Amino acid sequence: MNKPANTGAVQLSRLPFTFARDHVIWRIGFALAMSLLSAAILILLSGKNPLEAFWAMLAGAFGSPHQIGVALNRTSPYLFAGAGLALCFRAGVINMGSDGQIAMGGVGACAAVLFWPGEAGLLASIAALLAAAICGGLWAGVATAIHLGRRVHEVLATLLLNFVALLLVQLLLSGALGQPGAGFLQSPLMPRGVWLPRVPQFDFHIGVLIAAGLAAIISFVLWRTPLGFAIRVAGKSRRAAAYAGLSAPGITWRVMLISGAMAGLGGGTEILGLHHRLIEGFSSGFGFKAVTVALLGALEPAVTIPGALFVGFLEAGAQAMQRQIGVPSSLVTVIEAITMLFILAATVRRT
Amino acid sequence: MIDFLEAAIRIATPLVFAALGGILSERAGVFAVGLEGMMLTGAFAAVIGTWLTGFSAVGIIFAMAGGGLLATVVAIVTVRHRADNMVTGLTSNILALGLTTYLMRILSGSGRPLAIHLDPIGAWPVPVLSKIPVLGPIAFNQPPLTYLAVIGCAVLSVFLFRSQWGLKLCATGENPEAVFAAGADPLNIRMTAVIGCGAIAGIAGAVLSLQQVGTFTDGMTGGRGYLALASLIVGRWNPWGAALACLGFGAAEALELRLQSLGVPLSSYVMQMAPYLIALAVLAGLGRSSRLPAAIGKPL
Amino acid sequence: MAALLEMRGMVKTYGSLRANDGVDLDVFAGEIVGLLGENGSGKSTLMKLLFGMTEPDAGGIVFKGRELSGHRPREAMAAGIVMIHQHFMLVEAMTVLENIMLGWEEAGKLLRRGTIADRIREASERLGLDLDPDVRVADLPLGRRQRIEILKAVLRDADLLILDEPTSNLAPSEINELLNILRRLRSEGKGIVFITHKMPEVIEVCDRVVVLRAGKVAGKAGIAGADKASLAAMMVGRDVTAPLSVEPKAAGAVRLDIRALKAQDLGPLDLRLRGGEILGIAGVDGNGQLELAETLAGLRPVESGAITLDGAEITHATAARRTEAGLAYMPADRSTTALVKSMTIAENLMLRDSHRQPFSKGGLLDREATRKEARSLMERFDIRAPSEQTLAGSLSGGNQQKIVIARELARQPAVLVAHQPTWGLDPGATRFVLERMIALRDAGSAVIYISSELEEVLAVGDRIAVLAGGRIAGLVSRAEVDMTRIGLWMSERAA
Repeated sequence: MNKPANTGAVQLSRLPFTFARDHVIWRIGFALAMSLLSAAILILLSGKNPLEAFWAMLAGAFGSPHQIGVALNRTSPYLFAGAGLALCFRAGVINMGSDGQIAMGGVGACAAVLFWPGEAGLLASIAALLAAAICGGLWAGVATAIHLGRRVHEVLATLLLNFVALLLVQLLLSGALGQPGAGFLQSPLMPRGVWLPRVPQFDFHIGVLIAAGLAAIISFVLWRTPLGFAIRVAGKSRRAAAYAGLSAPGITWRVMLISGAMAGLGGGTEILGLHHRLIEGFSSGFGFKAVTVALLGALEPAVTIPGALFVGFLEAGAQAMQRQIGVPSSLVTVIEAITMLFILAATVRRT
Repeated sequence: MIDFLEAAIRIATPLVFAALGGILSERAGVFAVGLEGMMLTGAFAAVIGTWLTGFSAVGIIFAMAGGGLLATVVAIVTVRHRADNMVTGLTSNILALGLTTYLMRILSGSGRPLAIHLDPIGAWPVPVLSKIPVLGPIAFNQPPLTYLAVIGCAVLSVFLFRSQWGLKLCATGENPEAVFAAGADPLNIRMTAVIGCGAIAGIAGAVLSLQQVGTFTDGMTGGRGYLALASLIVGRWNPWGAALACLGFGAAEALELRLQSLGVPLSSYVMQMAPYLIALAVLAGLGRSSRLPAAIGKPL
Repeated sequence: MAALLEMRGMVKTYGSLRANDGVDLDVFAGEIVGLLGENGSGKSTLMKLLFGMTEPDAGGIVFKGRELSGHRPREAMAAGIVMIHQHFMLVEAMTVLENIMLGWEEAGKLLRRGTIADRIREASERLGLDLDPDVRVADLPLGRRQRIEILKAVLRDADLLILDEPTSNLAPSEINELLNILRRLRSEGKGIVFITHKMPEVIEVCDRVVVLRAGKVAGKAGIAGADKASLAAMMVGRDVTAPLSVEPKAAGAVRLDIRALKAQDLGPLDLRLRGGEILGIAGVDGNGQLELAETLAGLRPVESGAITLDGAEITHATAARRTEAGLAYMPADRSTTALVKSMTIAENLMLRDSHRQPFSKGGLLDREATRKEARSLMERFDIRAPSEQTLAGSLSGGNQQKIVIARELARQPAVLVAHQPTWGLDPGATRFVLERMIALRDAGSAVIYISSELEEVLAVGDRIAVLAGGRIAGLVSRAEVDMTRIGLWMSERAA
């Protein structure tokens, strides 16, 4: 067929990202079931009883209020970064730099607290969170500038910057932000006044609640504002977006900055709520989990909440399983990766 | 000077194999983000194969099979099920990281990583030629896989640009419809290319674990797959060009080691950042001028 | 002499549609058969059956005395049938030589570049194709690319060549060369099926004509006794020459003024449109049509010159600013530019105005008002769909184009740029589009109507310009149209 004018004005080196929406729950459910099956086989390989292992996992995740609190703390950074990524992916921008953005968020929060001139209190906490969002956003901004300014594929730009960010954290911890003589690369402990409040009994910090609130707001932006409409159009067809008068670079900038800021907040809350200090490599692997969460949530910011909860509880459970049964905890990484592959095969498309 | 060049070649060798594999995959139209995982799987399988049988040749075959197996998963998800190349490749990297770490632990039966110590494959000096001053020790006194990397460049060049298979493969990355019209199956070609990429990247892992270190450690590839990816873009999807780019990265890292050993007061963290910053700078410098295969990343 | 190809009583039904209903087709060696028919008359189904892309419900195919049934495209090709599609199956980044070697066994597993290049030169010389094996396809004009496909077929010893609308992308001079090449192929004993809806070419080159209508053979004729009118009547089964009633309107004030406009692959060109007129722009595809349309719409940068709309300069304005200034644009590429197929009708209607009333209020999308507006537009523009929440991609081409028209025309634009607005539409929908253009003109807007269908341009344009090589090769009012001159203009520096 002779389509006139199919080579359009904007030369596209790539195409947007779409998500197969029919029976999406079944598809994701199938993916989860298959990955649990794969996990069972891997547990069998290690000479352990899978049912026993899964039981230990369940008990570890839900066994006590404290266990639930542990799981919710795990959920927090994944939800922050995952909800931001869902928005990014919706716009067809593949940000693979959450690892680095989370790390930079941690740096921002840590630096803000260490250099905070006043009393260590609520104000300092808020300033630290703001600094975390700004640093995460800036790091995403660097990748965006390289991507848009020099046409380096965003996946490469964000990925390579992850390595730089992780080393940058180490560099800073060995210098300005570090605790001399600690033996580890870590910052001094933060004063109690800036720690995020914790929910009593369950003992989780409020990061996960902030994240859930922000995920809901992002979802609102996506569905109820012209910006959200623009993001959805750009994600479906760059050509149509240009035709509609929407600026593709403008949209890319916005979603990258938002997702970077969200990832940064994830890092900041992790520091302020959980570790109470910046630790080398505290965020390694988080970025991938954020991608898992975004895809589990079917690229729907609000639905990343259950997605993140799933990953958080899975990991908390797996750690308990490792302690009790002795199955190596790297199994969790395997389960997550296999789940992702099944989800990818079943749902994500490039049109 | 000789030390420096030797170090550069040593560092470049695994990158070259990975880049060669990546060229195969990207020329056929699939982004090779999964190189890192394929290398890691190869490194693991090579050590296991050698440990089980005592022959490093068997280890290398294991490495190819391991990388190929992971690539098969990528190929099925991304080519047959049309999933996004980038995300799938990245996921396969994580899968490789998790799976190799896990298997190292369950193979030992103790929950700790299996302790394997192999003698790294030694140099095979070429008679006579290796005695040439300067050039001899650099070019003709290398371990076998380093020679194989050079041969690999030559073979891949002939394959891509001088054979019917290569013609079809490159056409698949440019215009799969034309390949279909010419009576070939672009889907099969892509699948095969990705799996081939895995096998070659597996050798890259074997270079690392068998020829350079002598054991497997968790996540031992440490981002080399991404550097190989950058090299093949810098090398314009041409085997020799990519090899040259890998040598460039090798030289940069060798220089860094040099400076470190000379006690130059530069933070080791900054130096470790160097390859990634260089990769970014080179990609950014290339910017608009690099032309991707027309149909890369587009599903069939 | 036995026929090269015999197709007997071919039947194929899709659901309730009898796409082929007992079609017979014979082709002898050394003859050119014209296969005529409108869109949907069953031409492509017949060819799909021939190539084994789909199974017939009934009927049989005999090629070179051998029964062909249950075959696949590959076997059809191996037997010696080659189809040359409208869009070429070529790898643009590769050379002519590489494209010809692609998938060809005789090129060898290790490619014999020299030998094959010599054979290309020899055949190119013999048939007058003028092809250099070492040139990259991307650097060749469309006419030459088509010859690569022909050369491929010849080198592979095809006996039967099927050309699907082979002239639609060619300039008049290129068409003549193509017809000469076909005559040479005929004299070498090839059988050729020439699928087209353009009468003059059929009469010029074909030996016989088979006309399809609604899945049946509506008529067969030797070319000696055929004339254009009778063929057209056979094809359509009704009178097609009924013109649209377009009385030229007295033109008003200047609404769009284009001066010395230059952009990549375009211009410099000057155009001036008054309210109440349609400027039809004809020309062979790929001569700057897309560039002109997109430069006007603000999707391509202007290098120099000026564009003024209702007195306001918009030369470097963004697409969004131009929309606000009163410029409407219907892109040729409906499926990925003008519409987002996986979004609803309502969302597509608000595509270019999402931040404005009635679609937005107070910085938020107003869903209720959007729904209401969408329903009213669907009614006004006769968009037939279950609801405004129906996905645009599930509609017919005609209804999809109505969404675009509704969106662009509801704004009461000062100027409309319409690029190939009837492409792929059935006659009814085409008519609807043309009538809307005229109604818009009558309401005082200026319309630029760009199309490679010359007849359409002549039917709606008050003035007709021809675009060739990115420039205006000529401009006349409809009263002064002289087909020979238009033909000459079209072949000027044609791609």
